[in-house]
Amino acid sequence: MDLYKVYGSGDAEVVALGGVTVDFEAGRFTAIMGPSGSGKSTLLHCMAGLDAPSAGQVFIGEVDLTTLSEKQLTLLRREKVGFVFQAYNLVPTLTAAENITLPLDIAGDKPDRGWFDTVVDAVGLRSRLGHHPSELSGGQQQRVAGARALVSKPDIVYADEPTGNLDSKSSAELLSFLRSAVDDHRQTIVMVTHDPSAASFADRVVFLSDGHVVDEMRDPTSERVLDRLKSLEV
Amino acid sequence: MLHATLKSLLARKLRLGLTALSIVLGVGFVAGTFVLTDTMNKAFDDLFKQAASGSDVIVRATSAFQPSQAGPGGGGGEQRDPIPQDLVATVAGVPGVRSAAGGVTGYAQMVDPKTGDAIGGVGPPTFGANWNQTANAALELRSGAPPTGPDQVVVDAATAKKYRLSVGQTIRVLFQGPAREFRIVGIAGFGTADNLGGATLALFDTPTAQQVLGKEGVFDEIDIVGDPGVSDTVLRARVQDALPEGVEAVTSTTVADENSKALKEGLGFFRTALLVFAFIALFVGAFIIFNTFSIIVAQRTRELALLRTLGATRRQVMTSVIVEAFAVGLFASILGIVAGIGIALGLQGLLAAFNIDLPSTSTQLEPRTIIVALLVGTVVTVFSSILPARRAAKVAPVQALRESQETGAVGSSWRRLVAGLVVTAGGMGALLYGLFGTPASAGALVGAGAAATFIGVAILSPLVAKPIAAAIGAPIRGLGISGKLGRENAMRNPRRSASTAAALMIGLGLVAMVAILAASLKASFDAALNDTLKADLVLSTSSFVPFSPDAAAKASQVPGVAAASEFRQGGFRVNGSTAFLTAVDPSTVEQVTSLKESPGSIPALANGDVLVFDDVATENAWAIGDSLPAAFGTVGKTPLTIGGVYTENRLVGNYVVSLETYQKYFPEQLDSFVMVKLQPGADPQTVQRGIEDATRSFGNIEVQDQTAFRDKQAGFINQLVGLITALLAMAILIALFGIVNTLGLSVFERTRELGLLRAVGMSRRQVRSMIRWEAVIIAVLGAVLGIAIGVAFGWSLQQALASQGVTELRIPGGQLVLYLVLAGLAGVLAAILPARRAARLNVLRAISYE
Repeated sequence: MDLYKVYGSGDAEVVALGGVTVDFEAGRFTAIMGPSGSGKSTLLHCMAGLDAPSAGQVFIGEVDLTTLSEKQLTLLRREKVGFVFQAYNLVPTLTAAENITLPLDIAGDKPDRGWFDTVVDAVGLRSRLGHHPSELSGGQQQRVAGARALVSKPDIVYADEPTGNLDSKSSAELLSFLRSAVDDHRQTIVMVTHDPSAASFADRVVFLSDGHVVDEMRDPTSERVLDRLKSLEV
Repeated sequence: MLHATLKSLLARKLRLGLTALSIVLGVGFVAGTFVLTDTMNKAFDDLFKQAASGSDVIVRATSAFQPSQAGPGGGGGEQRDPIPQDLVATVAGVPGVRSAAGGVTGYAQMVDPKTGDAIGGVGPPTFGANWNQTANAALELRSGAPPTGPDQVVVDAATAKKYRLSVGQTIRVLFQGPAREFRIVGIAGFGTADNLGGATLALFDTPTAQQVLGKEGVFDEIDIVGDPGVSDTVLRARVQDALPEGVEAVTSTTVADENSKALKEGLGFFRTALLVFAFIALFVGAFIIFNTFSIIVAQRTRELALLRTLGATRRQVMTSVIVEAFAVGLFASILGIVAGIGIALGLQGLLAAFNIDLPSTSTQLEPRTIIVALLVGTVVTVFSSILPARRAAKVAPVQALRESQETGAVGSSWRRLVAGLVVTAGGMGALLYGLFGTPASAGALVGAGAAATFIGVAILSPLVAKPIAAAIGAPIRGLGISGKLGRENAMRNPRRSASTAAALMIGLGLVAMVAILAASLKASFDAALNDTLKADLVLSTSSFVPFSPDAAAKASQVPGVAAASEFRQGGFRVNGSTAFLTAVDPSTVEQVTSLKESPGSIPALANGDVLVFDDVATENAWAIGDSLPAAFGTVGKTPLTIGGVYTENRLVGNYVVSLETYQKYFPEQLDSFVMVKLQPGADPQTVQRGIEDATRSFGNIEVQDQTAFRDKQAGFINQLVGLITALLAMAILIALFGIVNTLGLSVFERTRELGLLRAVGMSRRQVRSMIRWEAVIIAVLGAVLGIAIGVAFGWSLQQALASQGVTELRIPGGQLVLYLVLAGLAGVLAAILPARRAARLNVLRAISYE
């Protein structure tokens, strides 16, 4: 959609996104990759309604995010978007179960018991529901975040380096969970990552460099992604 | 190291400002009290000096003791007999006397011509006097002429202004004898002041004044001006030689000094009372400082650890925190002094609103005020930072590398429990000993005990904060995620919540105590009336100002009245210490009330004996027939025979004499109240209307049945409670700043968490609501603890005062619940700023990784 994001102005101008047009198919798992400073996170923030682009449009379904007020964006994030961040995903005063239902509680909705159970079982946290985040491992915390992102059945889930702080085993558990959400429940997921093996879980990889989409790849494998990244950095 | 400290201090201006505010207010209150009372002292000193400059020597009757605090009734102040007026001629003949003028002063109360209500009487006295510029050189006409003739009066400018009186108007004036009407011929002031310390003044020519003030043929004093070249002391000695026994001559400087001294005693009491409230405010401020520094140290753990890694010693880290506190304390104290001047001016305005006009003088900022303010503010701040500083020094260098986690846990709860219990028990012990024992400085002991109790409970409070906060928050959990998270946040760091709440606890504890004491007083008074009052109607004035005995005379003539029994009150001394007595009419007192006296008491009373409250007699081992070591201002030591004892003291206090005895020792005869017994079969309403008509001309007398009398008494107590609560409001206000501060720091600390909540769809409104609930829970927590302490204090006080007549304990449940609700609302108020800050948080920045 020709998305631009410019920080500062004049000589201090930094162009984070220099005209990005990209669409993410529903029911698919897409990864966004690129070197540091390529604009991956900025793109994600703009698409999630957390940040406003300098120019251009962002659509989720039929809704143009750039036309929404702050209040409408909040509602949109609550109802249509799920998030998994790299860290600090959970509210420390709430239990795992309460963290999972947080978006529903904020909306004042009752959780769909069946769906809640499905999600909880999928992340394998049944026995940990009553624990507070400080009593969970890093991997478990991220899976709670994943479950939270899915529990409100959002149109789209954004994951920002969700495995950035995890070891490979925990990473694999989380990514398999995200993968199965796409395969079993036709969930749409967009994930920013710099880890080729994480990207290999996706259906499609979009490569970003200096604020532009430079390439994309279907059905990626770690090796092919790694090769592509190397060529980008040269 | 010092450089780094000051840098970090300046980097956090807002925090500095909020922390300082609590000290600024506390110090401001202290400085304001000093400035106000110093200014008043100076103003009256100037005034007395100016007044005294009119005469050189003053002749008056001797007094047994120095004037002291005025008590209830007419006889509490300076008591001197009048002197014969022919002494004026005697002293005028003394060589060196150029002129001599007699002066009289007494009770005279003007009646507002528009409303028919008596003017003044609440607080400052209402005086009548003769026009005598020799006695008061500051006295000068603002308009009109001096009074000449039996129907002329000059009124003070303050009264004239307030009630829009003008020359030519007719005004009614109440006296000890019959009331009379006068024409206003002049308006007078005292230099720049419109009145003398709030007293209303009606001035007559000398014969009129003598007549209406009941002092025909006598003067209260003679003011003498000497010939040039004769020194005051020489003149005084010469005059003294010409005087009979019982009359003395003193220099006008002596009188001015006496007046100053008496005033300073009065002001000293006023100052002490204000300072008590100021120190309560500072005490609360100390809690805020302690809390703020604790949070800051916790938040700066990494920074402090980094300093430690770079080689700073523990001592240096500790010093850096204390130096920060010192800087904040000094800065806040300086601002506090400035604020104090403002507060003093505000209080002065308040006094003016109560018609107490201060003679204009420069605002007095004495070096003592500055030193005390700086010292108190800085010491309190530094002292409050010592514990947090010690905690800062314990930060290990390795913590710089660790992810700092908010530690909500209460460490070493056993030590805390023991320390808290010891301090609380010690505090309560000191308080109770102060109340029930008879230590030398009971007041100080009670104060220190109360403070220690508050500290003890504050130490204990983190142990109970979590369950109490959970219970308070339980009902709001159902109100959605904001309530639930607010509750969790209030519970997550019990130490922080508890110490924030502790500041509010102090204010509410004291307010609750006052409420309980007031309710108990009212109930006790009710009980006293129920048990003892046989009268059908009571005559009194709106604020229990004494009034003319003529009212009783008129009331007794109303058809249907069986007896109108007078009660007078006055101050005297027993064994050298001030005491109060009530004078009753032995012939009628039994018809209107019961003293539960020993047999033969009433005839003994009529005989001139004194009756003593049984407990007091027992305490002093006095028996019937013993001699009471009494002294009166007019006549000095005058042992009275104890003619009986009684057990019902709630209406009459500890000593009772007859009206006849009272007349012997007190120069002024005014009734405090009159109790009326109806003849059998008389219709109370008809008689009440009859008495009202008969006493209407007095302007200020209310005729009430028992219920109305009771209500009036309650209203009087309520006023007092209102005043004390208003003064405690400062402490509560400071505690609210504490909540603002804590929440602000917590919001800052939870930036990331707030960002997450906003990211997953929490609206700004919900964020604000969440912070509000947290504030409400903390505030109510403080209120709950405070009210619990207040109940304990109130109960102790009531028990201690039981022998003074506060026999009933009443805990006003509804009022205490109201305080809880108000505390919650105050929490909402305190949350406004932090909540707005939290809601405005930039979501993206909050969730970005470093």
